[in-house]
Amino acid sequence: MSVVQRFDGWLDNDVSWREAIVVYLVLGLYYTVLLFPVIYLITSTFKTDAVLFAEKLMLLPPANEFTISNYIDVFTRDEFRDYFVNSTIIATATTVVTLVVATLGAYGLSRFEFPGHQYMIVGFISSQMLPRVLILIPFFTVMFTIGLVDTYLGIVFAHSVVTVPFAIWLLKGYFDDIPESLDDAAKMDGCTDIGVLVRVILPLSAPGMSVAGFYTFVGSWNDYLFVSMLSQSQGTRTLPFGLALFQSANAVDWGAVLTAAVITMLPVIILFALVQKYIVAGLAGGGMKGI
Amino acid sequence: MTQSQTQKSRIRLFVEEFRSIQRETWLGMGLILPGVIMVSLIVLYPTVRGIWMSFFEKSLLFPQQATWIGLEHYRELLSDSIFHQALWNSILLTSVAVTLEYLLGLGLAIVLKRKVPGIQLFRSVTMVSWVLPVIVMVTIFNFMIQPQFGVVNIILDNLGLPTRFWFGDPDLAMPIVIFMHVWRNAPFFAIALMASMMSIPNDLYEAASMDGATPLQQFRHVTLPNIAYTSMIMVVLHVIYTFNNFDIIFLSTGGGPLNKTEVLATYVYKTAFVQNMLGYGAAIGVTMLLIMLVFTAVYVKLEDTG
Repeated sequence: MSVVQRFDGWLDNDVSWREAIVVYLVLGLYYTVLLFPVIYLITSTFKTDAVLFAEKLMLLPPANEFTISNYIDVFTRDEFRDYFVNSTIIATATTVVTLVVATLGAYGLSRFEFPGHQYMIVGFISSQMLPRVLILIPFFTVMFTIGLVDTYLGIVFAHSVVTVPFAIWLLKGYFDDIPESLDDAAKMDGCTDIGVLVRVILPLSAPGMSVAGFYTFVGSWNDYLFVSMLSQSQGTRTLPFGLALFQSANAVDWGAVLTAAVITMLPVIILFALVQKYIVAGLAGGGMKGI
Repeated sequence: MTQSQTQKSRIRLFVEEFRSIQRETWLGMGLILPGVIMVSLIVLYPTVRGIWMSFFEKSLLFPQQATWIGLEHYRELLSDSIFHQALWNSILLTSVAVTLEYLLGLGLAIVLKRKVPGIQLFRSVTMVSWVLPVIVMVTIFNFMIQPQFGVVNIILDNLGLPTRFWFGDPDLAMPIVIFMHVWRNAPFFAIALMASMMSIPNDLYEAASMDGATPLQQFRHVTLPNIAYTSMIMVVLHVIYTFNNFDIIFLSTGGGPLNKTEVLATYVYKTAFVQNMLGYGAAIGVTMLLIMLVFTAVYVKLEDTG
């Protein structure tokens, strides 16, 4: 068997090896542009300053210039430990609040008829269209009035409001796919309406819940605008906001800035790796037909 | 069974039905209520307040004072040259970035759809640029385009081309901002369009090729109509996202140099929170809202009829 034939065996029937070569070429080109900045960022954090500021292209540091001193430097700064803890608390709390509120809302919209029911989802999605910067002007006054400026609660609340409409939309798509005959069967067995949600719908929509949870966590973790308005002290500052401040204050300390950037992105990258297969499936299935 | 008994049980059934409908109504509304309250308090109320505020002269320094001036702020906008520049930049950025995102995403989707060995790996890493925090993306690009040690300038230098600090160059700041938008969002288009393409039943292609359609004709008459709905959703969402986006520009160029990358979102922020002119900032924000409303209405209408 020739090499080409063997390669043919690997391929699906409808793809010829010529096509496959074109596919790999395009992918190679595209993913170089896509991934180079991320990989270059990560490798740069292990470089000594001599390599970092060398006017020569080096993707990996030479063995004798490899260092983890940037990580030691950043981790020994108290403020970054605080930012990391704040970000974790805020993003986790936002995810819990959003999932609870959105699950109830999506269940209500998916299974119950009530006046205005059909406009609800359009209303939620349209609320995302409103310019954030316009909201921001009276938003601060509202938060100030109810005493939520510079608190975890205020930031969690603001983030949840941004993520809830999308999560409702997404979850409603998943819930709609579950046949109502299952609800009826459970009710025959004595389940209440909430029992149906907990025992029937939630277990069957685990992929949807993980995708909604992922979008929410990432949305909260990555947010700059609301945190920059609401956080007035180190006690509530998150990693992205801290990184932005750190960068403007330490314009020359690139080693520390890049390392802080890696630490800021690492949790979302790990989460992404865990749920990415559901994201693709979700976009093909329930996710896009929620409206 | 007598006539009246049947009548009675019918009535009882009707009452029970009515009660259950009523119960369903209340339960359904109760379930959605927390979401509605949150969105009303943090999104709807501030928006209405913002629109109201745009008719007042109001300063951040004296938040208690407000003077009704009607449409005066909107009249001022007509002769505000920075506003004109920001409006143009917003439209330019949004149209160029979303067009490129769509075309690149479409091309990548066609390639990602092929079942070649290892394709799963490519599919899974695609959206990595989309999940990064904006500040991390800006930090990477900022580092890569630094004069002297930035990798972009090192490569340009090796090729014998002139080097420069891109964010600080009036002619290059906008292209690099567009590049960041496309780098970040094109993968999302690719995955969404790929998912949509993969759900097209294979018989449609078989029927088309039976009728002698070339691959290009198949793409035109089978693929494109079947991904039209996903395309519309993605384009509308991204036009809104890009037009309203604040942090990519604020964190990278800050709107400079010379207002070359100033967009409406950053201009609202500066007017309201740097120059303390809350009412005027709100008026610019309302203009953004109106533009997006018109865009969405027209686009959805066109998509419905076309």
